[in-house]
Amino acid sequence: MIRIGILSAAHGHAHSYAECLKVIPGVELVGIADDSPARAQNFTREHGIPAFPSYEALLAEGLDGAVICSANAHHRPLTELAAPRTKNILCEKPIATTVEDAQAMLDACARHGARLQIAFPVRFAPPVVDLRDLLRSGALGRIYSLKTTNHGQMPGGWFTDRALAGGGAVIDHTVHVIDLLRWFFDTEVAEVYAEVGVGLLHDGLGIDDAGLLSFRLTNGAYGTLDTSWSRPAAFPTWGDVTIEVVGERGWARLDAFKQQLAVYSNRAQRAQWVGWGANMDMGLMRDFVGMIDERRDPSISGLDGLRALEVALAAYQSAAEGRPIIVR
Amino acid sequence: MGGYHAARWRELPVTIGGFFDTDTARAERLASQHGGRAFGSVAELVESCEIVDICTPPSDHASVAVAAAQAGRHVVCEKPIARSLADAERMVSVCEAAGVTLFVAHVVRFFPEFARAKQVYDSGALGRLGVVRTIRGGARPAMSPWFADVAQSGGVILDVGIHDIDYLRWLCGDVERVFARGLTWEKLAADHALITLRFASGAIGHIESSWAFPQGIFRTFVELAGTEGILVHDSDDVRPLDVRYNRGMEPASPPPSSAPNVSGDDPYLLELRHFLDVLDGRAELLVTPRDAVEALRVALAALASMRDGRPVAVAGFAEEL
Repeated sequence: MIRIGILSAAHGHAHSYAECLKVIPGVELVGIADDSPARAQNFTREHGIPAFPSYEALLAEGLDGAVICSANAHHRPLTELAAPRTKNILCEKPIATTVEDAQAMLDACARHGARLQIAFPVRFAPPVVDLRDLLRSGALGRIYSLKTTNHGQMPGGWFTDRALAGGGAVIDHTVHVIDLLRWFFDTEVAEVYAEVGVGLLHDGLGIDDAGLLSFRLTNGAYGTLDTSWSRPAAFPTWGDVTIEVVGERGWARLDAFKQQLAVYSNRAQRAQWVGWGANMDMGLMRDFVGMIDERRDPSISGLDGLRALEVALAAYQSAAEGRPIIVR
Repeated sequence: MGGYHAARWRELPVTIGGFFDTDTARAERLASQHGGRAFGSVAELVESCEIVDICTPPSDHASVAVAAAQAGRHVVCEKPIARSLADAERMVSVCEAAGVTLFVAHVVRFFPEFARAKQVYDSGALGRLGVVRTIRGGARPAMSPWFADVAQSGGVILDVGIHDIDYLRWLCGDVERVFARGLTWEKLAADHALITLRFASGAIGHIESSWAFPQGIFRTFVELAGTEGILVHDSDDVRPLDVRYNRGMEPASPPPSSAPNVSGDDPYLLELRHFLDVLDGRAELLVTPRDAVEALRVALAALASMRDGRPVAVAGFAEEL
């Protein structure tokens, strides 16, 4: 049995991860610990797994792996707590709110021989894998441009608290697509320019809810990324991940979550798009369990998490200084 | 379908015993590809295996299923359950008497989009269903000549329409009467049907089944309209990846077609795994033999309606055609 515990459910993905882990053969979901006892109790009620009184108590169970779904700023202390106590850590994105914190997490895991994987589930959406295969096949020739979006609804809660989240829409949504581009091409972001809007779509929000990054990759391609929380509460789904590619030999357009049913119900009082595509969280969880089982390196490393974070932070710097920032 | 099923069986905790086909070369090819051996007769196959998976033309389903059941073998059978109601009823009663499980592979219930639509309906978001519409169709299948022979296949309604008949029965219950127009009795190169259903619940159903669309089009469509809401699925509108090439720059091998599913969600794998779960007592049959017989009854009633130009009551309908 592979024994896994969940450290905090502050990030809602903990719910989906728990449901996936419950059905993967050979996995025992040992329990949840959370600094909010109410949240832990709620999680227990919803998913039927024990709540532990503290992170230390859960980690003392001798876990094979820990899944960290806290607020972003707590990723570092929880990773530092877990690294000496378990060999495998899956940490929600973004890896941290500062480069220093992220580096400390990498160092702690290296020191204790723990594997650190970052949760970028979009890598496991089959249409995204198809696009990666297409791009790597060379069928589109030289890639000129990548116009991308990761839109969302404004999540509220700690996501809009700078101390806990490290920023708003830009830090929340930059990292997913940047990770995909790095993974598609084995490349890095060379330079980024960003326009960032604070409370542009939500009066008085006090944190960025709109961002448009314009970047150049070290492989020569250029592109943009819209990270905005621009989908209103009435929007039929949570958001999107789209990538439009212009290449030397052709053009491709990905709408990663297009496999949806349109539902218009008086009970919801708004249109809803109900997804039926493959569950990418299941792909991520199977990969994490496989990493533990086979004692292999993470498919998405802590360094991947750090590199994506650097781009988000460079976007904020660019907006503050009004000039493009060289990332690397 | 035999090769299709075999590829999925290989992913499941079973051993492929082998294949029988009236075309011996095909049985040998499948055996060398998937394992097991080529059997010389149905009797030999039934003797050597615990589960018999029937992918013959529908007119041959009953003889194989009865031989399997009488030997105590569990049966998976492609849809439609049989070409005739008499055959279907015989399969059900022999399997029941032998105490073996008969699973008719109405795979649409296992497709993620159709399964999710059923979930949405079950959640109450649509209220009571009033008008349900579906489309399923493409060009005439090129794979086997028996598809073109109405006596063997039953034409587009028994091969294609039966999917939607079963799916809509899953949602709306028993069908009271059916009215159909189409090409089946004209025996053209194409086949096509527009079927109108009235359910006992009062709901109205419409099914388009086609082997008359241009090559390269395969479309499914579902619209479920109820007292509280409406749900729409159109396969034309859910392709996550679209790729176009500049003139003269198309690659020699086609671009990846966006696979909607990770391997664990493959509907053909899911239906066979479901069957194994039923055998192990971990699940109840999602499609009962009675469901399969009733779907066939509706399909044959639609064929009768198409022939006679009048509505046909489904309850008690027993004509073979």
